[in-house]
Amino acid sequence: MAGSNEINANEAKKVVPLHTWILISNFKLAYNMLRRPDGTFNRELAEFLDRKVSANTVPVDGVYSFDVVDRTTSLLNRIYRCAPPESESGRQLGAGIIELEKPLSSTEIVPVIIFFHGGSFTHSSANSAIYDTFCRRLAGLVHGVVVSVNYRRSPEHRFPCAYEDGWETLKWVHSRSWLLSGKDSKVHVYLAGDSSGGNIAHHVAHRAAISGVEVLGNILLHPLFGGEERMESERKLDGKYFVKLQDRDWYWRAFLPEGETRDHPACNIFGPRGSSLTGLNFPKSLVVVAGLDLVQDWQLAYYEGLQRSGQDVKLLFLKKATIGFYFLPNNEHFYTLMEEMKNFIKSGVC
Amino acid sequence: MNPNHPQKHIITYSTPSPGAATSSVTGGDVTEKGKNMWDEEDAGVDELLAMLGYKVKSADMVDVAQKIEHLEGVLGNDDELSQIASDSVHYNPSDLNSWLESMICELNPSPEPPMIDDSFMNATLPDSELQAIAGNAIYPPLKKLKPNCSSSSSASASASSTYNPNPNNLNQNQVVLVDSQENGIRLVHTLMACAEAVQQENFQLAESLVKQAGMLAVSQAGAMRKVATCFVEALARRIYRLSPPTPQDPPAFSDLLQMHFYETCPYLKFAHFTANQAILEAFAGKKKVHVIDFGMKQGMQWPALMQALALRPGGPPTFRLTGIGPPSGDNTDHLQEVGWKLAQLAETVHVKFEFRGFIAGSLADLEPAMFDLRTDEVLAVNSVFELHQLLARPGAIEKVLSAVKEMKPELLTVVEQEANHNGLNFLERFTESLHYYSTLFDSLESSGTGSGGLDGGGILPVTNQDKFMSEVYLGKQICNVVACEGTDRVERHETLTQWKIRLDSAGFEAVHLGSNAFKQASMLLALFAGGDGYRVEEDNGCLMLGWHTRPLITTSAWKIR
Repeated sequence: MAGSNEINANEAKKVVPLHTWILISNFKLAYNMLRRPDGTFNRELAEFLDRKVSANTVPVDGVYSFDVVDRTTSLLNRIYRCAPPESESGRQLGAGIIELEKPLSSTEIVPVIIFFHGGSFTHSSANSAIYDTFCRRLAGLVHGVVVSVNYRRSPEHRFPCAYEDGWETLKWVHSRSWLLSGKDSKVHVYLAGDSSGGNIAHHVAHRAAISGVEVLGNILLHPLFGGEERMESERKLDGKYFVKLQDRDWYWRAFLPEGETRDHPACNIFGPRGSSLTGLNFPKSLVVVAGLDLVQDWQLAYYEGLQRSGQDVKLLFLKKATIGFYFLPNNEHFYTLMEEMKNFIKSGVC
Repeated sequence: MNPNHPQKHIITYSTPSPGAATSSVTGGDVTEKGKNMWDEEDAGVDELLAMLGYKVKSADMVDVAQKIEHLEGVLGNDDELSQIASDSVHYNPSDLNSWLESMICELNPSPEPPMIDDSFMNATLPDSELQAIAGNAIYPPLKKLKPNCSSSSSASASASSTYNPNPNNLNQNQVVLVDSQENGIRLVHTLMACAEAVQQENFQLAESLVKQAGMLAVSQAGAMRKVATCFVEALARRIYRLSPPTPQDPPAFSDLLQMHFYETCPYLKFAHFTANQAILEAFAGKKKVHVIDFGMKQGMQWPALMQALALRPGGPPTFRLTGIGPPSGDNTDHLQEVGWKLAQLAETVHVKFEFRGFIAGSLADLEPAMFDLRTDEVLAVNSVFELHQLLARPGAIEKVLSAVKEMKPELLTVVEQEANHNGLNFLERFTESLHYYSTLFDSLESSGTGSGGLDGGGILPVTNQDKFMSEVYLGKQICNVVACEGTDRVERHETLTQWKIRLDSAGFEAVHLGSNAFKQASMLLALFAGGDGYRVEEDNGCLMLGWHTRPLITTSAWKIR
């Protein structure tokens, strides 16, 4: 009903700056057009509308980027690196050739964050402007490397494709000689992701823990979890801050195997079909929850589940934040998040 | 995909930026005159949204918000309307204001004015939101966006590190994938060092480096080997001043090479397809149409257009085609042959067709009066890879564009390579072209010979001969870019950003190719492209085809302002 749309629009407008409202509402509008009721997705229009940027080997704010296609998996990853300080030039060839044969450092630890962009498993890419900007910031923030994964999306590629792609990237990252750092000469890997990316980060970390592959920490930014049960936050916040519950349901139907319910372990981590994390060498986690996100009760359940399993987890609850607060540096939650992420990584690095 | 491919290492390049390791990526110098297109276009554009790929004037922010709200109300609970919106054609999604406007008009033919929502009028003004948070090292200092502020920092200035997400940015360079053996890296270093020596006119050093590079090149495999060999040869020609720097081929041979290139990879097919789409749209409803093709060659573009015209609801128009080609030097009128074949096709599809061929040494020799332009006809002028050649002679491009303008076409379609191979600085040109052609060769490598993805090149398998001839075709371009100068250097590719400036000042404005053309081009790629890495991208209303994330060819359409 047009009336309730108005009320909800007003609600959202009160809590976010104008720019954020325009950005997120624009996505919402476009996404509504792309999802079809029959579960299919207008991929061509989605790609047409998505604002993309190329990688840039000229440093911007001290960070440069380039894309890598791994021939064996044909995955496209975008790598962000901090430009070396000027004193290290030695580039007599005049054209600024940066070699990627040497490790990042043989003395210092340089964190490598594998980042999974959001988009409810369906939207966006590693080279989407919103994510390119975010990853660039992240690389500069931690003075490290960010590897942004262009995982396969639903509905064309359902569970477990995205997880497989994440796993492959984790192994790829661990095997790059040019990502080594520290006196112990290993790749210091963290996993991070927002929305569906957070969900992917969890599952990749889980597989890593089971397989004995090291991950030093997980950063989950309003990760996408769910279940058949309707939580109170879902009821209360349905349609209020850019997101409708029925949209969430659509994305789960598009990602999970056909015929599955939201209690599938991909979606409901600590639900009836989830597996136990107790005793596993699971990485320490930073779980960020936006207080105006209707998925928050599931994210809080995830946090509690990790605690019950004896895992190290910190919760950052941003009461007045909506989804996507971290795309624009125009609100306090953005800066709080940056600070928290920096400390989280730094504490692993000392 | 091919398990036999060795693991690749990556070497990245940046164009030499004097001194600074941290250079700002802005619109930059797009012509030698230093005129910055972004200055004018982007005056008053909101910075925050610009960083995320959207062009919204600060003054329009509230308006945009209202439009979004209006559309949410209209589309919000109506699945059917959402689908109509989805299936309609969209233009320039960066320009939020016009994109939203076009949807509002589309969904509501007699638009009621959108409800003026007062809450936005009271919303915090852009100024206060954008107050730079002092001392924040993470985010670059924002310029104050008071609409009447005359001191807003110009994008061309100094150290303002404004991030420009525009992929057309001239100063970026992409990744070159090279073999993992040490030799691969040494090879690239040697090539670059050689180019630098050439630039510094230290020909003794250059000579020894080119020999080294030659030896390293043969130790490589695949695309790297081929591309490096081309560049080595080109450098050698320049160093030893072989004359003529590049062998002059008879046009028939060049055409043949281009045909093989056409078969091997989708770039030309994409170019023809997207240009034809734009032409078809411009010709909608017209009974008499005329196309002038600046580079007729074998006429590969026109059968498809003819068939599309034949299938038009309401019947085909009368189709007149004027093809321009260079003198063939062997007394055959090869243009007439091509015209004749097209006439035969026209007969089978029942399209009234007329062909005229013009031989011209240069497009600048043409005058509008030559073309028998008829007032009851709609004209489209088509140029595929022809305009950049004119940049070799001063005044030529201006003359040609002014002649086109005089002809009053409904549309001018332009297809060009998306690269700046026309810079003044040799080393920069060398670096740019090394990137560009490496990517191109890389994509060739994946075409058609069964490397995963679709089998073959789609309908007809790509032969080894096709591939080889394509490499020769590209090799000649490389030679021209690297070894030639002055009027001999005709492969003066420029980027869309640069072409836009030229066309703007000649009195043209862009016609946006819409989501329909994009969608169909993507579908075509999926069907016909051999390798998995091809991507279509929309940029400011133009369509680009690239390999992975590097755009290589741009199709754009223009009309007189």
